[in-house]
Amino acid sequence: MRFVIRRLALFAVALFGISLVVFVALRILPGDVASIMAGLNSPPERVAALREQLGLNRSLPAQYADWVSALCHGDFGTSVLTGRSVGAQVGARAQVTFPLITLGLLIAMALGIPLGCAAALARKPAVRAAFHVVAIIGGSVPALWGGLLMILLFSRGSGLIAVFPSQGFPQAGWSDPGAAMMSLILPACTVGIIVGAGLMRYTRAALAQTAQSDAVAMAMACGMTRTQAILRVGLRLATAQLVSVIGLTFAEMITGVMVIENLFALPGIGAGLITDVGNRDLIAVQSELFMLAAFFLAIGLIVDLLHRVLDPRLQSAGDNAEVNA
Amino acid sequence: MSVDIQSLSVTLGSVQIVHDVNVHIANGERVGLVGASGSGKSMIAKAMLGLLPVDAHVTGSLMLGDVNTANASERTLADVRGRYVGTVFQNPGSALNPVLPVVRQIELPLKLHYNLNATERYERAMTMLHKVGLDDDIARAYPHQLSGGQQQRVGIATALVTAPRLIIADEPTTALDSITQRQIVDLLVSLVDDAGASMLFITHDFAVLSRATTRSYVLDRGEIVESGDTEQLLTHPQSAHTRELVHAARELTLRATQTESAQNTVLADNSGMSSVATGTLTSKTEEGRA
Amino acid sequence: MSNMTETSNTTDTTTTLTERNERKNELPRNAAEVTTTATRRRKPLIVVRSMWSHTEGRFALIVMAVWLAVSLISLIWTPYSLLATDGYHVWAKPSAAHILGTDGTGADVLSWLMAGSRTNLLIVILTIACAAAFGLLLVAAMVSRHSALAGASVVAVDALISIPTVLLALILAVPLGASIMVIVVACGFGYGLNLARVARPQALLAARSAYVEAALWSGASSLRVFVGHVLPNIMPVMLVQLSLSAGTAVLAESGLTYLGIGVPSGVPSWGHSLATSVKFINVYPLTVLWPGLIVTVVVIALNLLGDALGDAADPLANTQLRVVSKRAGTNPAGDKGSAA
Repeated sequence: MRFVIRRLALFAVALFGISLVVFVALRILPGDVASIMAGLNSPPERVAALREQLGLNRSLPAQYADWVSALCHGDFGTSVLTGRSVGAQVGARAQVTFPLITLGLLIAMALGIPLGCAAALARKPAVRAAFHVVAIIGGSVPALWGGLLMILLFSRGSGLIAVFPSQGFPQAGWSDPGAAMMSLILPACTVGIIVGAGLMRYTRAALAQTAQSDAVAMAMACGMTRTQAILRVGLRLATAQLVSVIGLTFAEMITGVMVIENLFALPGIGAGLITDVGNRDLIAVQSELFMLAAFFLAIGLIVDLLHRVLDPRLQSAGDNAEVNA
Repeated sequence: MSVDIQSLSVTLGSVQIVHDVNVHIANGERVGLVGASGSGKSMIAKAMLGLLPVDAHVTGSLMLGDVNTANASERTLADVRGRYVGTVFQNPGSALNPVLPVVRQIELPLKLHYNLNATERYERAMTMLHKVGLDDDIARAYPHQLSGGQQQRVGIATALVTAPRLIIADEPTTALDSITQRQIVDLLVSLVDDAGASMLFITHDFAVLSRATTRSYVLDRGEIVESGDTEQLLTHPQSAHTRELVHAARELTLRATQTESAQNTVLADNSGMSSVATGTLTSKTEEGRA
Repeated sequence: MSNMTETSNTTDTTTTLTERNERKNELPRNAAEVTTTATRRRKPLIVVRSMWSHTEGRFALIVMAVWLAVSLISLIWTPYSLLATDGYHVWAKPSAAHILGTDGTGADVLSWLMAGSRTNLLIVILTIACAAAFGLLLVAAMVSRHSALAGASVVAVDALISIPTVLLALILAVPLGASIMVIVVACGFGYGLNLARVARPQALLAARSAYVEAALWSGASSLRVFVGHVLPNIMPVMLVQLSLSAGTAVLAESGLTYLGIGVPSGVPSWGHSLATSVKFINVYPLTVLWPGLIVTVVVIALNLLGDALGDAADPLANTQLRVVSKRAGTNPAGDKGSAA
């Protein structure tokens, strides 16, 4: 329990730190946001008005205090360009991104974990090398190109096997679940294969490590075959590690799918952030970056807490206990 | 179960670790395999159980009863392990599955080899737990919550719960302090003798060896350099390597016996066999001093 | 998208390290100590030679050599000028005149890809230099004898490492716009953190070892100890990590450029070629094939290079290196203990 409280306190401190970093990073970097936003050759009055609207002519501490106190009330500000609330904007985008990355992660796990296990169990050096090459190739394909190949193969219009819509997300959103799902399948597969290749290498490495452990030898000595022992005991001992990798991968995918969202014209969080950066929409970018960073930290927190559930050694051991699985 | 190892060689990568080893264990016999660390003792034990890394190369024959484990299939090996052959590991702290409560660990060989319902399994595991001198409340604990000695008792219970015909004990006492060492060796010996099983006891420590075995093989750099009656080896070591090992054991026992002689009498109650061994060992040590 | 691969970036090292540990788990883990100048001069040669002797290593070395050669050639010669457009032959199929065809402006695809390779090479070299410098600085802080500095830097690395490179690039892009510097700084920062975390255990072992202790007692400065004792010990890990990072940097370039915050438009790069052909995927699917294929092959080669370097540069895995150290009269790794 003490661990949970300490971890939560750390989370709060980190949130504060992140807000400061995002704020400072967006202010101290060279370049006058207001004049860039206003566009080239725009009259100085327009720039001054924008600066006023963004609050840029006030002192930095005052700007920061305003922003943070609004954040504390759940107000993420209003986009100067669209006039919409940043919170609502991100909420709408999340309805595309979260289903996409969840589906992508499920595909990655369905591919990566069994293949990683198979690679760890392979006895022949040639077979092991083949798995290694497959994983390297899978991880070396640029997402953009992988997505394009997917479109070329499976999309309506240009695809060889025309099944899925090539681009876009239905206007109606999730009120038409079938169409929404169909539009997510190709991008999710692209993401899933690339992430899956990484997960495969990780699973293999983690299993190769636990396969040499005494606990796996003991399970074999009790009467398991090597395969059984690695899959039942080795995999279980590697679970804590795998959970943290999967959790952190999930967090990274939010921004990682930016290219895919752009390519498939999906109005997600990453694609939206790119648009906002392109528009120099300062308030929106600032709050969105903060939300993303907060999300990463929250996933880190959940992963740490899960670790303790999965490994009984951590529950009763001291907070600084080292685990040598 | 009798064991007959004929011209066993083990190669790992390009390094030959075991050279042409012959070992014989009769039914119900307790045999020692002694050697310095790195001499290849554990490799022999692992080869017997089919636990070597996949790229290891084994030649020769390894007869456990009528199964040759040198070329048996993985399935056959798994059927033998835990059912006819029980194994006690060097480091129970890392060998016991850290996510299983003690009683689940002890139940594992039963679960893998016998069709028992949950209650029967639990009862047998608990009986075994009591046999190794542990209380009921330990059953629900996780390995990391136990002391080293308790962990090794759980390891012994797991190895013996199916009443196997052969016990392979791979340095079962090395990770323990000297008092616990004796308790564990005596416990192991009494349980093995009660069951009428054979035992291969692997160690680098002659002091422990004389308590646990009647006959021993001395291994040096993968080769058997000497074999015979354990007492004989202790009193009249022939090879230089054996002399070194015996000498090292005496040095240790000298110090140990002075502080622990009071405890010996108490512990010796556990088994008649071991009290004799203790007595002889002490007198040998005294001889050495003179 | 650069990020998606970042998980596998750290993962790769774990993978390679475990693989190597599997092979030599019988050997003790104390790494090479001081090397004489004679050894230092011969070492790279031996490393390259032993990489060449394996198929994967040979493939990686060939791809690197071709990449370097094409980049240099493109500085003085390309089949067509980059600015030469031919309005009558847009989206031309591959032919004798245009081996890989032409793009939407009628420019020669091959020429743009050749010129692109030098931009990518530049980006990779700058990124790696940036990551190495930043990473080493962090490693030095992490193993420092001032426990406050060491503790703080460990916490800082753990906190910062979770920030995706893309986010950093986006923050930089707000004032800078599309620029090579965005890629170099964002990636160099992120990969430097990765390097620091991966190299720390080994650096710590070296920094706390008896010979460093002895060197400090005999009056060697901290910098000298770091360069002379810690650096040689983390070199193998560092080489592996940096070549994996180089692969990730190539992927990052294509992703960031496509997103409009990487290489500015008009500057040739593989990401640029990929991005410009994307818009016309439905009409001219073939043009997208080449840049994607090049990026994939180069990234595969950089990954294999990491694997091969890891094996070849590690005195524990490469016995030839040990022979040299012995001849040079130093105390090579692996001599201190016997197999368990």
